Amino acid sequence: MNYDVVIIGAGIIGSGIARELSRYKIKIAVIDKASELPSGASRANSSMIHGGFDDKPGSVKARFCVPGNKLWHKLKDELDVHMNECGSYVCAFSDEEVKHLETLLEQGKANGCPGVEIISGGRLREKEPNASGEIIAALWSPEAGIINNFEAVHAFIESAQINGAELFLETLVTGLLFDDKGGIRGVTTNKGEFIAPVVINAGGVHSAEISSWAGDNSFRIIPTKGEYFLLDRTTQGFIHSFMFSCPSKAGKGITVAQTAEGNLLAGPTATEQEDPEDHATTPEGLAEVLKGARRLVPAFPVNLNITTFAGVRANIDTGDFTINALAKPRGFVNVAGIKSPGFTSAPAIAEYVADMVRHELGDRVKFAPNEKFIPERRNIPRFLYMDMVKRRELAQKNPAYAQIVCRCETVTEGQVIEAVRRGARTVSAVKMMTRAGTGRCQGGFCCPRVAEILSRELGIPLDEVTRHGGGSRLLAGRTKEFLLKKKREEAAK
Amino acid sequence: MSERKFICVSCPLGCGLTVTLEDSGEVLKVDGNTCPRGESYARSEVKDPRRVFASTVRVKGGKLPVCPVRSRTPAPKGKLFGIAEAVAELEVNAPVKIGQVLIHNVCGTDVDIVASRDLAAV
Amino acid sequence: MSRDIDVLIIGAGPAGVAAGIGARREGAERVVVLERDWDLGGILQQCIHPGFGLRTFKEELTGPEYMHRFIQQAHDEGVEFRTNTMVFQIDKGTNTVWTMNKERGIEHMTPGAIVLTMGCRERPLGAIRIPGTRPAGIYTAGTAQRFVNMEGHMPGKRAVILGSGDIGLIMARRMIWEGAEIEGVYEVMSWPGGLRRNIAQCLDDYGIPFHLKTTVTKIHGRDRLEGVTVAQVDDHMTPIKGTERFVECDTLLLAIGLIPENELSRMAGVEIHPVTGGPVVNDLLQTSDPKIFAAGNVVIVYDLVDNVSDEGLIAGANAAKYAAGKIPADIRRIPVKGGENVRLFSPQYVTGQADTTIYMRVTHPVEQACRVFAEPDLYSQRLRYARPGEMNEVRIKAGQITPDIKEITIDIQPV
Repeated sequence: MNYDVVIIGAGIIGSGIARELSRYKIKIAVIDKASELPSGASRANSSMIHGGFDDKPGSVKARFCVPGNKLWHKLKDELDVHMNECGSYVCAFSDEEVKHLETLLEQGKANGCPGVEIISGGRLREKEPNASGEIIAALWSPEAGIINNFEAVHAFIESAQINGAELFLETLVTGLLFDDKGGIRGVTTNKGEFIAPVVINAGGVHSAEISSWAGDNSFRIIPTKGEYFLLDRTTQGFIHSFMFSCPSKAGKGITVAQTAEGNLLAGPTATEQEDPEDHATTPEGLAEVLKGARRLVPAFPVNLNITTFAGVRANIDTGDFTINALAKPRGFVNVAGIKSPGFTSAPAIAEYVADMVRHELGDRVKFAPNEKFIPERRNIPRFLYMDMVKRRELAQKNPAYAQIVCRCETVTEGQVIEAVRRGARTVSAVKMMTRAGTGRCQGGFCCPRVAEILSRELGIPLDEVTRHGGGSRLLAGRTKEFLLKKKREEAAK
Repeated sequence: MSERKFICVSCPLGCGLTVTLEDSGEVLKVDGNTCPRGESYARSEVKDPRRVFASTVRVKGGKLPVCPVRSRTPAPKGKLFGIAEAVAELEVNAPVKIGQVLIHNVCGTDVDIVASRDLAAV
Repeated sequence: MSRDIDVLIIGAGPAGVAAGIGARREGAERVVVLERDWDLGGILQQCIHPGFGLRTFKEELTGPEYMHRFIQQAHDEGVEFRTNTMVFQIDKGTNTVWTMNKERGIEHMTPGAIVLTMGCRERPLGAIRIPGTRPAGIYTAGTAQRFVNMEGHMPGKRAVILGSGDIGLIMARRMIWEGAEIEGVYEVMSWPGGLRRNIAQCLDDYGIPFHLKTTVTKIHGRDRLEGVTVAQVDDHMTPIKGTERFVECDTLLLAIGLIPENELSRMAGVEIHPVTGGPVVNDLLQTSDPKIFAAGNVVIVYDLVDNVSDEGLIAGANAAKYAAGKIPADIRRIPVKGGENVRLFSPQYVTGQADTTIYMRVTHPVEQACRVFAEPDLYSQRLRYARPGEMNEVRIKAGQITPDIKEITIDIQPV
């Protein structure tokens, strides 16, 4: 298959770049090994849209964070993504930590982060009555927020698809192809070759390995696990914003936030590990999160926990984002080590990479503007957030919207069918696209129903439906089969 | 003389029963029961333990792919797996009526397997 | 304002169907039960094992058989049912109920009284925060029961069951009868969560090991479950180092408790009790909103469906009375208090308008002769034991509620 650009990885970075490149009349393939999106670090993180005060002025991170933040405030409407524009607080418990806040304030000003100020502990508690009484001051950043990270990735990739990009899931890159002039010629995968003069490596935790195939060993990825608690939406309003602690000896900086959907989120830890695919939570990690959360908000209602999860971030040994087009082989671009504030920076990185590719690799691909580019993308209708007039209209037009599948999050059958139409193939994909199964019963009610819809819409037997692709089948066969098989085997003896 | 202990399964109380047996196997006495059902349960448990069997059968053309069934009366405990296999072999056509006998005298136990719900055809 | 529906009941499980019967018998003209499923009967349709209705019908029925009898009674009494109709919102204070149905779209109705009978749901894995991965093959016992008994599919071939609630025990036997293996049942407490007879007839009968004071401490497997680590726990429920053991299995079933299902009750703005998880009710089963009644597992999780049906009949009858203007606004509200060994109970208030049963559970087992009682001197009954897994009852006659009684205390103490 011939393309102009192949993007490895469909996380927030790869899908963001795909969308930016779809502004040009070029053939784009985005490939990801997962069965559903997002799957890597973009799936399990804080979904924080940072204010931009945390990064050393002059760093690559500082260059992209504030512009990324600005872009998200615009993109959330353009791409129809839920974002809680709530602001953030960095909380100080001692005079020493107040000094740290002052450093952050200066950095914020230098980075062009608007509206940052230091407020007293008392003022913080007027806004956040559940904040600890021991917090003496806080750095307030009004432009910070929290986004629905599942929606954000889908928004980017769907927008790219609307504008002509192609997505290939369950496609694992196994190597690179080179032309006889030492330039890149494409990639090999488990599904065959993808030929393209430009290959962009947005492989997250695997980006160093992919880069090494191109001969660039200049950085190393340190997979770093972050563990989280996610609490029931009945905690909505327990706190309203994103609360950080200062990094200190006491802890690595656990945060507590109200998510874009009104859940309470606490985490993450930061544990370095060898295995880039180890997403298991640990007793130690969860204990650390709980301790850190209680330090910020002592009444943290952990009894309303609905799930715990862990994500693996692509931390990089250089400590900063690595974004460059290699001189050799030409055509190969690294976008690696996009750790925090990666989600925030993603749209700005995407713009930058698209520009860079156009300028530096214009000899390899002709970048003519795509005059038919459509910037808007609409989300799957969200029944929960609609008024009754809209709900009635929708139900009248399509009766599947008059059938609830997930009662915790009020998700209708219509939404699930639409998710399948947009590419969902697994129960988890439906969950991430519609929120069916993200509520307090964690799929106890909707999982069999979603599985039935997947089976029906995809035309596959129920026992072939998977939780998240691969060998994650939900069921082991039909009733009676085990008994009859046993009986046949015994009869054969 | 010997003693055997059971939990009575006749009702949700779950009484702890102690049965005293003669060497011949005859029941001498039953202790620990709250009601007469406990006594008869203990006597039956010693001589001929029985359980109600409940499962499903495959259904063709029904509102559901399976229909629940039960043994109308308790079946010999030792024959439950044989009964499970006999039920597994069966496939019935919808509609199914509650109480409808699906297997008569299952595995020669003199016990019938009956449908335990109405299941309409699609 | 004219109204179409006198009593509207939400959910056609055992409580809702009984509430319909109760409301019609009390004389309500138009009684409608809404059911989100295509079928009536609620969760009992998937409880295909016998053990239901011994008290009501003097014989042991399966869940579908029990419901069949009640549904027939309800039809005979003139109760109307609307299936495939889900209530997704109740407007606070106004009694306006919003429903959806594929044929009728979105509608709303404002009945004379509402009875909440939505039942309960199972506690999920997240509630107990077990570390490890999140593979396929982890189900609540009830979800597995639906797969097996309603859809004809097996969740796995070799299962571990965590928690000893009745549905878990029942599913152990059910899966054995389908030719699957059950490695064992693990219970973190030092006493079983379910009924003794279910331990006997579902585990002991098939030699399934039952481990008390043991829990699952880790989940293994990326795609499909590959196993769990189990460990014994100390008296503070902390896993004991050195007791960990890897158990290979492809399925983990959770039977770790039931919680009243009160999504709609919260929307309706009725007061929810922090311990029962259900609406605070008086003995007429009236919630903090006088127009709204509640019965069954939505109020407090019962052991026996007979109790659920009894409470449904009471709630339905009182809702009918309310709709007819026969329940005064100024009835007495005598608070019930739980004593030292009472974990939860319902109702929380007694009115003196009718004979009453207060249902309660102990916090700790009392494995000796004891007494369940209500002070001041309203009830006393000897028991051979009292266990958290088995509900106890206090019965008070309306006539016993004299004007001088300001508070009622219930408890269970050894004698």
